Amino acid sequence: MNEHYDASDIQVLEGLEAVRKRPGMYIGTTDVKGLHHLVWEIVDNAIDEALAGYCNHIEVIVNKDNSVTVKDNGRGIPVDVHPKTGISTVETVYTVLHAGGKFGGGGYKVSGGLHGVGASVVNALSKWVNVTVYKNSKVYEVKFVDGGKVAQKLTVVGDCEENRTGTTVTFKPDPDIFDTDIYDYDTLMVRIRELAFLNRGLSLTIRDDRDDEDTTGQTFMYEGGISEYVKFINQGKTVIHDDVIHLEGEENDVFFEVAMQYNSSYKENIYSFVNNINTHDGGTHEDGVKRALTRLINNYARKTNMLKEKDEALTGDDVKEGLTMIVSCKHPNPQFEGQTKGRLGNSEVRKLADNVFSEGFERFLLENPECARTIVNKAMAACRGRLAAKRAREMTRKSEMAVTNFFGKLSDCKSKDPKVSEIFIVEGDSAGGSAKKGRDSMTQAILPLRGKILNVEKARLDKALGNEEIRTIITAFGTGIGDEFDLSKLRYDKIIIMTDADVDGSHIRVLLLTLFYRFFRPIVEAGHVYAAQPPLFRIMHGKTRKYVLDEKELNEYLNSLDDKVRSRAEIARMKGLGEMDAEELNETTMDIEKRTLRKITVDDCVAADAIFEKLMGDEVEPRRAFIEENAIFVKNLDI
Amino acid sequence: MEDNKDIITDEENKYGSKFHERDSLTENNIVKEVRDSFLDYSMSVITARAIPDLRDGLKPVHRRILWSMFEEGNTPEKPHKKSATTVGYVMGHYHPHGDSSIYEAMVRLAQDFNQRYMLVDGHGNFGNIEGDGAAAYRYTEARLAKISLELLRDINKDTVDMMPNFDETSPEPKVLPSRFPNVLVNGSMGIAVGMATNIPPHNLGEVIDGCVAYIDNPDIDTLGLMQHIKGPDFPTGGLLRFHMVLILWILRLRWLNLFIIRLLMVLVIIILI
Repeated sequence: MNEHYDASDIQVLEGLEAVRKRPGMYIGTTDVKGLHHLVWEIVDNAIDEALAGYCNHIEVIVNKDNSVTVKDNGRGIPVDVHPKTGISTVETVYTVLHAGGKFGGGGYKVSGGLHGVGASVVNALSKWVNVTVYKNSKVYEVKFVDGGKVAQKLTVVGDCEENRTGTTVTFKPDPDIFDTDIYDYDTLMVRIRELAFLNRGLSLTIRDDRDDEDTTGQTFMYEGGISEYVKFINQGKTVIHDDVIHLEGEENDVFFEVAMQYNSSYKENIYSFVNNINTHDGGTHEDGVKRALTRLINNYARKTNMLKEKDEALTGDDVKEGLTMIVSCKHPNPQFEGQTKGRLGNSEVRKLADNVFSEGFERFLLENPECARTIVNKAMAACRGRLAAKRAREMTRKSEMAVTNFFGKLSDCKSKDPKVSEIFIVEGDSAGGSAKKGRDSMTQAILPLRGKILNVEKARLDKALGNEEIRTIITAFGTGIGDEFDLSKLRYDKIIIMTDADVDGSHIRVLLLTLFYRFFRPIVEAGHVYAAQPPLFRIMHGKTRKYVLDEKELNEYLNSLDDKVRSRAEIARMKGLGEMDAEELNETTMDIEKRTLRKITVDDCVAADAIFEKLMGDEVEPRRAFIEENAIFVKNLDI
Repeated sequence: MEDNKDIITDEENKYGSKFHERDSLTENNIVKEVRDSFLDYSMSVITARAIPDLRDGLKPVHRRILWSMFEEGNTPEKPHKKSATTVGYVMGHYHPHGDSSIYEAMVRLAQDFNQRYMLVDGHGNFGNIEGDGAAAYRYTEARLAKISLELLRDINKDTVDMMPNFDETSPEPKVLPSRFPNVLVNGSMGIAVGMATNIPPHNLGEVIDGCVAYIDNPDIDTLGLMQHIKGPDFPTGGLLRFHMVLILWILRLRWLNLFIIRLLMVLVIIILI
């Protein structure tokens, strides 16, 4: 029962003591993240010098004892005595909270740090800190220990070249405060590289002294700034236009720039920064650009009639597909919003971003009609994909409700166990009839097709889904398509393409494989697709009818006959499955004990992709070239 | 009850875990499968379906129709025969494909708006240019047109190679003897895979004059041939545009022998118009 509560219980934490007591309030956490945060506090100060135009090289060195040295060649922290505190400005900056040059006093126009706590917080949370300032041809040094206690007052320790200025800070985080004191090189390197991208012309070096092999460190310097960042992100992707679009503008001391480039992927990579700080949740700068982008692409598409009047407008998601974009804003007075302060809130930035982007991007579209077309086409493809996926989802949902109506001509097998079920996709009703009669109805389902199915390589998804044949196939498989595709729902272990042994049969097989590969790729890749091998020849002599698979077998069989019989044997090349009785079809092609199936395998996705595009796609030229090139390899010519 | 049990066990054995082991398999890569199948199909369509033979200007289905009618004795001096007879004969002997494709091909040969010189003489409703189709083959009648006899003339005198039909029961000609160059006279149109053809028809008299001129002078050039064959001759007539006349005139000017100059002038006219 402690009811004693009076003035003696209220503590007033003096200066840096407060930081040590509640580090979370200043650096977020005391884990790895907080540990690295200390580096950024110091680096940010150096970057601010760079933003102000006085610094062009920053070096970060991880020392052997996991202390970190940050060197810059800026103006150096002022060393004269500060009138308010009565001590040198360096000491003031490192020991007094809210002491800084970034409150609009003219020292800095734009800065990452806002509150003037950075340096002092690092000091408060460090075992020791050494600050060396090169200024006025002299080298000044000040040392702190144990969370900001001055160990050595500011003293001149030597002379330096006349022009040399800069600040070098070395600090060792206090292991009592942090969970860990080991710095991770990659974390540092990635952010250093990012900073180099974001501040064009500024060179940043990082060196790991803990690693004996690392003697030179890595230096990052990008004259192209965020354009090079975009190129960097797009490395290894296929870009759909060569040049990175880079736009920038300034208004009322707010500097805004954006770089973008489309690649052929379906993912968007949009990163935005304010004063070098990553705004994870976007904000007004990002919104402004996105809004303008959607508007401009729509306008352009309508104006050039690529998007017809009745067509639905492209959405933000459509125009962002495959977009790599970096938005960077330098603002003297940024307002951060949201739980994690990851959103820029300044509303005037939205207008600036919109203006800068609209003007520049519109000009780009008009000046580069080729690029513009590619970009609009990409967005329209995304739009089609979105609509088709929506329709596909609706369709599969619908089909689940009315599953029996959608099976069309499917004669299902009795077994409901996918492991022993197989489906024969048969060309035409004539063959379908004998297949149905000759099948083992326990395990074998028959789906007759009417003529040739749609070439899905040329048709858009929505048109393909409107095709009754394809819909029947989709429903029969039971897997659904698109986003809702689920291989585990496949109703048959073997999908067997059984077409006539003529050239039209070959064509239908190609069309079916195109459909499977484009819509049910996992089924093909998992090896569920087979081709039936109906006999090619029929040999009749006397009362016997013998069917053989190919010419080799034919010759073998003929040689096994008596000469007399052989001379009388009638050999016919089979034209269609309908030529055979149901029993014959069963014995030669369908009976699991007697048939030989050809399993369709996929070794090389890229090659498979290419062959479908070449042979079944929109472009005629490559197809003709292929035919001319390979005409001599043709095996079965039907004359 | 016990019987029932036995059956179930039987089924279980049959469709149990060893189900797949009963299957014999060969493997084929999808790329190879698609490549080979596509090649078979496309080459067959190109060489033996949609593109005519240069020698007689006929696609296989047309050749088979004419050959069948000839074999049947369905010739111009005899009365017309039911189309169904012909279609059935063609399908049964030479063309193992759908009846409609055969009948449609035959109807086309009998339409005066499609053929410059009809190869089949039809009787009954064979459709019109407005797009109405022909009556079904059980209604219409047909026989060979006189001109077709010129395509077939001397075929029995071992003038052309023959080949066995699909079931090797009777021979069919690889190409018709063709007393006149039908590919020029009737032209042809066809879309295959990766390639297509479109040849306009020409006037029979002009083409024959051209042939005679060619026989007289095997080195005759295009310009020389154009003295005889002035241009296409469409069954529905045609409109000669003024600039086309100019172009033709330029092409015919003897003194302009340099091909480049002619080409340039043609281009100038095209640009001007």
